[in-house]
Amino acid sequence: MACDDVPVKTPRCDCCSGPAVFHDKKTARHLCREHFIADIEERVAETIRSRHLIVPGDHVVIALSGGKDSTALLMILARLLPSWDSVRLSAVTIDEGIAGYREDTIHSADQLVARYGMDHTSIPFTDLFGGTLDAFLKGREAEACSVCGILRRKALNVAAERAGATKLATGHNLDDEAQSVFMNVLRGDLPRLVRDSGSDSKGRFTPRIKPLMFVSEKEIAVYLMLHGAWADLPECPYAVHALRGEVRSMLATLESKHPGTMLHLMESKTRIEAQCAGRLDEEPVRHCRECGDPCSGETCQLCTLKKTLSQ
Amino acid sequence: MKIILPDKTSRETKAGPVTVEALVRDLGFDPIEVIVARNGTLVTEDAVVENTDEVRIIRIAHGG
Ligand SMILES: [Zn+2]
Ligand SMILES: [Zn+2]
Repeated sequence: MACDDVPVKTPRCDCCSGPAVFHDKKTARHLCREHFIADIEERVAETIRSRHLIVPGDHVVIALSGGKDSTALLMILARLLPSWDSVRLSAVTIDEGIAGYREDTIHSADQLVARYGMDHTSIPFTDLFGGTLDAFLKGREAEACSVCGILRRKALNVAAERAGATKLATGHNLDDEAQSVFMNVLRGDLPRLVRDSGSDSKGRFTPRIKPLMFVSEKEIAVYLMLHGAWADLPECPYAVHALRGEVRSMLATLESKHPGTMLHLMESKTRIEAQCAGRLDEEPVRHCRECGDPCSGETCQLCTLKKTLSQ
Repeated sequence: MKIILPDKTSRETKAGPVTVEALVRDLGFDPIEVIVARNGTLVTEDAVVENTDEVRIIRIAHGG
Protein backbone atom coordinates (compact mmCIF):
# COMPACT_ATOMS: atom_id res chain seq x y z
CA MET A 1 0.00 0.00 0.00
CA ALA A 2 2.90 2.34 0.77
CA CYS A 3 4.03 2.42 -2.87
CA ASP A 4 0.54 2.96 -4.26
CA ASP A 5 1.62 6.08 -6.10
CA VAL A 6 4.32 4.43 -8.16
CA PRO A 7 2.69 3.09 -11.33
CA VAL A 8 3.15 -0.63 -11.76
CA LYS A 9 2.69 -2.38 -15.06
CA THR A 10 -0.09 -4.58 -13.69
CA PRO A 11 -1.73 -3.78 -10.34
CA ARG A 12 -2.46 -6.87 -8.23
CA CYS A 13 -5.68 -8.30 -6.80
CA ASP A 14 -6.24 -7.37 -3.13
CA CYS A 15 -7.47 -10.91 -2.43
CA CYS A 16 -4.97 -13.17 -4.19
CA SER A 17 -2.34 -10.94 -5.86
CA GLY A 18 -3.31 -12.18 -9.32
CA PRO A 19 -3.40 -9.58 -12.13
CA ALA A 20 -6.17 -7.03 -11.48
CA VAL A 21 -8.87 -6.51 -14.11
CA PHE A 22 -10.99 -4.06 -12.13
CA HIS A 23 -10.26 -1.14 -9.86
CA ASP A 24 -13.10 0.15 -7.70
CA LYS A 25 -12.29 3.82 -7.19
CA LYS A 26 -14.65 4.21 -4.28
CA THR A 27 -13.17 1.42 -2.17
CA ALA A 28 -9.73 1.53 -3.85
CA ARG A 29 -9.96 -2.24 -4.26
CA HIS A 30 -8.24 -4.10 -7.07
CA LEU A 31 -9.74 -7.43 -8.13
CA CYS A 32 -8.59 -10.21 -10.46
CA ARG A 33 -10.94 -11.97 -12.87
CA GLU A 34 -12.09 -14.65 -10.40
CA HIS A 35 -12.51 -12.32 -7.44
CA PHE A 36 -14.27 -9.69 -9.54
CA ILE A 37 -16.81 -12.23 -10.81
CA ALA A 38 -17.31 -13.65 -7.31
CA ASP A 39 -17.76 -10.13 -5.90
CA ILE A 40 -20.43 -9.17 -8.45
CA GLU A 41 -22.37 -12.40 -7.96
CA GLU A 42 -22.15 -12.14 -4.18
CA ARG A 43 -23.39 -8.53 -4.26
CA VAL A 44 -26.36 -9.47 -6.43
CA ALA A 45 -27.13 -12.39 -4.11
CA GLU A 46 -26.94 -10.00 -1.14
CA THR A 47 -29.30 -7.49 -2.83
CA ILE A 48 -31.76 -10.32 -3.45
CA ARG A 49 -31.44 -11.67 0.11
CA SER A 50 -31.61 -8.42 2.02
CA ARG A 51 -34.52 -7.05 0.01
CA HIS A 52 -36.34 -10.39 -0.24
CA LEU A 53 -36.53 -9.96 -4.00
CA ILE A 54 -36.82 -13.70 -4.62
CA VAL A 55 -38.38 -16.20 -2.23
CA PRO A 56 -38.77 -20.00 -2.37
CA GLY A 57 -41.35 -21.09 -4.93
CA ASP A 58 -40.96 -18.00 -7.09
CA HIS A 59 -41.17 -18.15 -10.86
CA VAL A 60 -38.85 -15.34 -11.91
CA VAL A 61 -39.32 -14.11 -15.44
CA ILE A 62 -36.41 -12.11 -16.82
CA ALA A 63 -37.24 -9.20 -19.12
CA LEU A 64 -34.57 -10.07 -21.66
CA SER A 65 -33.98 -7.38 -24.26
CA GLY A 66 -30.80 -9.06 -25.46
CA GLY A 67 -28.82 -5.93 -24.54
CA LYS A 68 -25.98 -5.85 -22.06
CA ASP A 69 -27.83 -5.39 -18.79
CA SER A 70 -30.45 -8.08 -19.24
CA THR A 71 -27.83 -10.47 -20.66
CA ALA A 72 -25.70 -10.04 -17.54
CA LEU A 73 -28.82 -10.36 -15.37
CA LEU A 74 -29.72 -13.69 -16.94
CA MET A 75 -26.18 -15.03 -16.60
CA ILE A 76 -25.92 -14.01 -12.95
CA LEU A 77 -29.39 -15.29 -11.95
CA ALA A 78 -28.71 -18.59 -13.73
CA ARG A 79 -25.46 -18.88 -11.74
CA LEU A 80 -27.19 -18.14 -8.43
CA LEU A 81 -30.24 -20.31 -9.13
CA PRO A 82 -28.95 -23.59 -7.65
CA SER A 83 -28.58 -21.94 -4.25
CA TRP A 84 -32.29 -21.10 -4.05
CA ASP A 85 -35.15 -23.38 -3.05
CA SER A 86 -37.58 -24.31 -5.80
CA VAL A 87 -37.12 -21.15 -7.83
CA ARG A 88 -37.81 -21.25 -11.55
CA LEU A 89 -36.27 -18.94 -14.14
CA SER A 90 -37.52 -18.12 -17.60
CA ALA A 91 -37.29 -15.18 -20.00
CA VAL A 92 -39.53 -12.95 -22.10
CA THR A 93 -38.52 -10.63 -24.90
CA ILE A 94 -40.61 -7.74 -26.16
CA ASP A 95 -40.05 -6.90 -29.81
CA GLU A 96 -40.92 -3.22 -30.06
CA GLY A 97 -40.27 -3.20 -33.80
CA ILE A 98 -37.28 -0.87 -34.13
CA ALA A 99 -35.66 -1.43 -37.51
CA GLY A 100 -31.89 -1.73 -37.64
CA TYR A 101 -31.64 -2.19 -33.89
CA ARG A 102 -33.89 -4.89 -32.51
CA GLU A 103 -32.99 -7.60 -35.03
CA ASP A 104 -29.48 -7.98 -33.58
CA THR A 105 -30.46 -7.82 -29.92
CA ILE A 106 -33.33 -10.27 -30.41
CA HIS A 107 -30.99 -12.67 -32.16
CA SER A 108 -28.58 -12.33 -29.28
CA ALA A 109 -31.42 -13.00 -26.78
CA ASP A 110 -32.42 -16.14 -28.70
CA GLN A 111 -28.86 -17.45 -28.65
CA LEU A 112 -28.49 -16.78 -24.94
CA VAL A 113 -31.64 -18.63 -23.84
CA ALA A 114 -30.73 -21.50 -26.17
CA ARG A 115 -27.33 -21.79 -24.48
CA TYR A 116 -28.97 -21.93 -21.05
CA GLY A 117 -31.86 -24.14 -22.17
CA MET A 118 -34.29 -21.63 -20.67
CA ASP A 119 -37.99 -21.22 -21.51
CA HIS A 120 -38.42 -18.09 -23.57
CA THR A 121 -41.39 -16.22 -25.02
CA SER A 122 -41.25 -13.35 -27.49
CA ILE A 123 -44.08 -10.84 -27.81
CA PRO A 124 -44.09 -8.28 -30.61
CA PHE A 125 -45.74 -4.86 -30.23
CA THR A 126 -47.67 -5.65 -33.41
CA ASP A 127 -49.50 -8.50 -31.59
CA LEU A 128 -50.43 -6.35 -28.63
CA PHE A 129 -50.93 -2.92 -30.11
CA GLY A 130 -51.40 -3.51 -33.83
CA GLY A 131 -48.22 -1.82 -35.01
CA THR A 132 -44.48 -1.38 -34.54
CA LEU A 133 -42.89 1.34 -32.44
CA ASP A 134 -41.33 2.72 -35.62
CA ALA A 135 -44.79 3.16 -37.13
CA PHE A 136 -46.23 4.75 -33.98
CA LEU A 137 -43.37 7.22 -33.74
CA LYS A 138 -43.53 8.65 -37.24
CA GLY A 139 -43.33 12.40 -36.77
CA ARG A 140 -43.10 12.25 -32.97
CA GLU A 141 -39.60 10.81 -32.52
CA ALA A 142 -38.86 13.23 -29.69
CA GLU A 143 -41.40 11.39 -27.52
CA ALA A 144 -39.87 8.01 -28.29
CA CYS A 145 -38.80 7.01 -24.80
CA SER A 146 -42.02 7.97 -23.05
CA VAL A 147 -44.20 6.33 -25.73
CA CYS A 148 -42.03 3.21 -25.73
CA GLY A 149 -41.94 3.18 -21.92
CA ILE A 150 -45.75 3.14 -21.63
CA LEU A 151 -46.14 0.42 -24.28
CA ARG A 152 -43.26 -1.70 -22.91
CA ARG A 153 -44.66 -1.51 -19.39
CA LYS A 154 -47.95 -2.93 -20.61
CA ALA A 155 -46.24 -5.51 -22.83
CA LEU A 156 -44.10 -6.76 -19.96
CA ASN A 157 -47.09 -6.99 -17.65
CA VAL A 158 -48.97 -9.06 -20.23
CA ALA A 159 -45.90 -11.21 -20.89
CA ALA A 160 -45.31 -11.83 -17.18
CA GLU A 161 -48.94 -12.75 -16.65
CA ARG A 162 -48.97 -15.12 -19.63
CA ALA A 163 -45.79 -16.80 -18.40
CA GLY A 164 -47.26 -17.26 -14.92
CA ALA A 165 -44.51 -15.17 -13.31
CA THR A 166 -44.49 -14.33 -9.62
CA LYS A 167 -41.62 -11.83 -10.17
CA LEU A 168 -40.56 -9.87 -13.21
CA ALA A 169 -36.79 -9.18 -13.15
CA THR A 170 -35.39 -6.26 -15.15
CA GLY A 171 -31.75 -5.39 -15.88
CA HIS A 172 -31.76 -1.86 -14.39
CA ASN A 173 -28.31 -1.13 -13.04
CA LEU A 174 -26.89 1.37 -10.55
CA ASP A 175 -26.42 4.03 -13.23
CA ASP A 176 -30.06 3.69 -14.37
CA GLU A 177 -31.34 3.84 -10.81
CA ALA A 178 -29.18 6.81 -9.84
CA GLN A 179 -30.35 8.62 -12.99
CA SER A 180 -33.98 7.96 -12.05
CA VAL A 181 -33.47 9.27 -8.53
CA PHE A 182 -31.80 12.38 -9.91
CA MET A 183 -34.47 12.95 -12.53
CA ASN A 184 -37.28 12.59 -10.00
CA VAL A 185 -35.53 15.06 -7.70
CA LEU A 186 -35.06 17.50 -10.59
CA ARG A 187 -38.75 17.20 -11.41
CA GLY A 188 -39.70 17.64 -7.78
CA ASP A 189 -41.60 14.39 -7.99
CA LEU A 190 -41.36 13.05 -4.45
CA PRO A 191 -44.16 10.47 -4.76
CA ARG A 192 -42.50 9.03 -7.86
CA LEU A 193 -39.11 9.04 -6.17
CA VAL A 194 -40.47 6.95 -3.33
CA ARG A 195 -42.87 4.81 -5.32
CA ASP A 196 -40.46 3.97 -8.10
CA SER A 197 -38.98 0.95 -6.38
CA GLY A 198 -41.19 -1.65 -8.01
CA SER A 199 -44.22 -1.31 -5.78
CA ASP A 200 -46.22 0.65 -8.34
CA SER A 201 -48.09 -2.48 -9.27
CA LYS A 202 -50.51 -2.14 -6.34
CA GLY A 203 -51.18 -5.82 -6.24
CA ARG A 204 -52.55 -6.23 -9.70
CA PHE A 205 -49.40 -6.62 -11.79
CA THR A 206 -46.49 -8.98 -11.29
CA PRO A 207 -44.03 -7.34 -8.87
CA ARG A 208 -40.87 -6.07 -10.53
CA ILE A 209 -37.41 -6.67 -9.14
CA LYS A 210 -34.07 -5.10 -10.07
CA PRO A 211 -31.33 -7.43 -8.85
CA LEU A 212 -28.56 -5.36 -10.53
CA MET A 213 -29.57 -2.08 -8.86
CA PHE A 214 -26.21 -1.84 -7.07
CA VAL A 215 -24.03 -2.99 -9.96
CA SER A 216 -22.65 -0.20 -12.14
CA GLU A 217 -22.84 -0.11 -15.90
CA LYS A 218 -19.07 -0.39 -16.06
CA GLU A 219 -19.03 -3.46 -13.80
CA ILE A 220 -21.63 -5.08 -16.04
CA ALA A 221 -19.45 -4.38 -19.09
CA VAL A 222 -16.42 -5.91 -17.37
CA TYR A 223 -18.44 -8.93 -16.22
CA LEU A 224 -19.64 -9.60 -19.79
CA MET A 225 -16.20 -9.02 -21.25
CA LEU A 226 -14.63 -11.49 -18.80
CA HIS A 227 -17.17 -14.12 -19.88
CA GLY A 228 -16.59 -13.50 -23.56
CA ALA A 229 -20.22 -12.41 -23.68
CA TRP A 230 -19.53 -8.86 -24.79
CA ALA A 231 -21.13 -8.00 -28.09
CA ASP A 232 -20.91 -4.71 -29.89
CA LEU A 233 -24.63 -4.19 -30.17
CA PRO A 234 -26.10 -1.13 -31.83
CA GLU A 235 -27.52 1.73 -29.78
CA CYS A 236 -31.25 2.30 -29.79
CA PRO A 237 -31.73 4.87 -32.58
CA TYR A 238 -34.21 6.81 -30.45
CA ALA A 239 -31.84 7.24 -27.49
CA VAL A 240 -30.50 10.55 -28.91
CA HIS A 241 -33.85 12.18 -28.20
CA ALA A 242 -33.90 11.29 -24.52
CA LEU A 243 -33.53 13.78 -21.68
CA ARG A 244 -32.11 10.90 -19.69
CA GLY A 245 -29.03 11.10 -21.91
CA GLU A 246 -28.12 14.49 -20.46
CA VAL A 247 -28.60 13.31 -16.91
CA ARG A 248 -26.59 10.23 -17.75
CA SER A 249 -23.51 12.06 -18.96
CA MET A 250 -23.73 14.59 -16.14
CA LEU A 251 -23.85 11.83 -13.53
CA ALA A 252 -21.06 9.88 -15.22
CA THR A 253 -18.84 12.96 -15.03
CA LEU A 254 -19.68 13.45 -11.35
CA GLU A 255 -19.09 9.78 -10.58
CA SER A 256 -15.74 9.92 -12.30
CA LYS A 257 -14.63 12.98 -10.31
CA HIS A 258 -16.30 11.93 -7.07
CA PRO A 259 -16.48 8.14 -6.89
CA GLY A 260 -19.54 7.02 -4.93
CA THR A 261 -21.87 9.75 -6.19
CA MET A 262 -24.34 7.24 -7.63
CA LEU A 263 -24.39 5.14 -4.48
CA HIS A 264 -24.94 8.28 -2.43
CA LEU A 265 -27.96 9.13 -4.55
CA MET A 266 -29.34 5.66 -3.86
CA GLU A 267 -28.70 6.13 -0.15
CA SER A 268 -30.57 9.44 -0.21
CA LYS A 269 -33.50 7.70 -1.81
CA THR A 270 -33.47 4.91 0.76
CA ARG A 271 -33.46 7.47 3.59
CA ILE A 272 -36.25 9.51 2.10
CA GLU A 273 -38.24 6.30 1.61
CA ALA A 274 -37.76 5.37 5.25
CA GLN A 275 -38.82 8.85 6.39
CA CYS A 276 -41.85 8.84 4.13
CA ALA A 277 -43.07 5.34 4.90
CA GLY A 278 -46.82 5.54 5.38
CA ARG A 279 -46.77 9.34 5.55
CA LEU A 280 -47.16 10.38 1.94
CA ASP A 281 -50.70 11.13 0.95
CA GLU A 282 -51.40 7.95 -0.93
CA GLU A 283 -53.47 8.70 -3.95
CA PRO A 284 -56.42 6.31 -3.93
CA VAL A 285 -56.08 3.51 -6.45
CA ARG A 286 -58.43 4.15 -9.28
CA HIS A 287 -59.14 2.06 -12.30
CA CYS A 288 -58.97 3.12 -15.90
CA ARG A 289 -62.50 3.47 -17.20
CA GLU A 290 -61.47 2.03 -20.55
CA CYS A 291 -59.29 -0.96 -19.71
CA GLY A 292 -59.67 -1.38 -15.95
CA ASP A 293 -55.95 -1.22 -15.21
CA PRO A 294 -54.98 0.57 -11.98
CA CYS A 295 -54.08 4.21 -12.62
CA SER A 296 -54.09 7.62 -10.97
CA GLY A 297 -56.51 9.48 -13.25
CA GLU A 298 -59.69 8.62 -15.09
CA THR A 299 -57.93 6.98 -18.00
CA CYS A 300 -54.60 5.19 -17.82
CA GLN A 301 -51.50 6.43 -19.68
CA LEU A 302 -51.77 3.59 -22.17
CA CYS A 303 -55.38 4.26 -23.14
CA THR A 304 -54.63 7.98 -23.38
CA LEU A 305 -51.63 7.24 -25.59
CA LYS A 306 -53.49 4.77 -27.78
CA LYS A 307 -55.90 7.46 -28.91
CA THR A 308 -53.01 9.47 -30.33
CA LEU A 309 -51.19 6.65 -32.10
CA SER A 310 -51.22 6.59 -35.85
CA GLN A 311 -51.89 3.10 -37.07
CA MET B 1 1.96 1.40 -29.17
CA LYS B 2 -0.96 0.37 -31.32
CA ILE B 3 -4.24 1.83 -30.14
CA ILE B 4 -7.57 0.44 -31.34
CA LEU B 5 -10.33 2.96 -30.81
CA PRO B 6 -14.03 2.21 -30.13
CA ASP B 7 -14.88 2.91 -33.77
CA LYS B 8 -12.41 0.12 -34.75
CA THR B 9 -9.91 2.51 -36.33
CA SER B 10 -6.36 2.20 -35.07
CA ARG B 11 -3.37 4.45 -34.65
CA GLU B 12 0.27 4.27 -33.55
CA THR B 13 1.72 6.41 -30.78
CA LYS B 14 4.97 6.58 -28.81
CA ALA B 15 3.14 7.86 -25.73
CA GLY B 16 4.28 5.03 -23.43
CA PRO B 17 5.03 4.17 -20.76
CA VAL B 18 1.88 5.81 -19.43
CA THR B 19 -1.03 4.83 -17.19
CA VAL B 20 -4.21 3.64 -18.88
CA GLU B 21 -6.07 6.54 -17.28
CA ALA B 22 -3.70 9.16 -18.69
CA LEU B 23 -3.77 7.58 -22.13
CA VAL B 24 -7.55 7.36 -22.19
CA ARG B 25 -7.95 10.98 -21.07
CA ASP B 26 -5.43 12.07 -23.70
CA LEU B 27 -7.60 10.43 -26.32
CA GLY B 28 -10.57 12.41 -25.06
CA PHE B 29 -12.47 9.74 -23.10
CA ASP B 30 -13.55 9.71 -19.49
CA PRO B 31 -12.23 6.47 -17.92
CA ILE B 32 -15.72 5.77 -16.54
CA GLU B 33 -17.14 5.34 -20.06
CA VAL B 34 -14.57 2.89 -21.41
CA ILE B 35 -12.84 -0.35 -20.57
CA VAL B 36 -9.37 -1.11 -21.80
CA ALA B 37 -7.68 -4.31 -22.94
CA ARG B 38 -3.88 -4.52 -23.12
CA ASN B 39 -2.69 -7.25 -25.48
CA GLY B 40 -6.12 -8.87 -25.25
CA THR B 41 -6.49 -8.76 -21.44
CA LEU B 42 -8.58 -6.29 -19.44
CA VAL B 43 -6.49 -3.96 -17.31
CA THR B 44 -7.29 -1.33 -14.66
CA GLU B 45 -7.01 2.45 -15.14
CA ASP B 46 -3.88 2.53 -13.00
CA ALA B 47 -2.06 -0.14 -15.04
CA VAL B 48 0.76 0.99 -17.32
CA VAL B 49 0.89 0.55 -21.07
CA GLU B 50 4.13 0.62 -23.03
CA ASN B 51 5.07 1.28 -26.62
CA THR B 52 5.26 -2.44 -27.40
CA ASP B 53 1.66 -3.01 -26.27
CA GLU B 54 -1.52 -3.22 -28.28
CA VAL B 55 -4.23 -1.27 -26.48
CA ARG B 56 -7.90 -1.65 -27.28
CA ILE B 57 -10.41 0.90 -25.99
CA ILE B 58 -13.99 -0.27 -25.70
CA ARG B 59 -16.78 2.18 -25.10
CA ILE B 60 -19.50 1.11 -22.69
CA ALA B 61 -22.47 2.25 -24.73
CA HIS B 62 -25.91 1.78 -23.34
CA GLY B 63 -28.04 -0.74 -25.15
CA GLY B 64 -30.93 -1.15 -22.66
ZN1 LIG C 1 -7.91 -12.40 -6.86
ZN1 LIG D 1 -56.60 2.02 -19.66
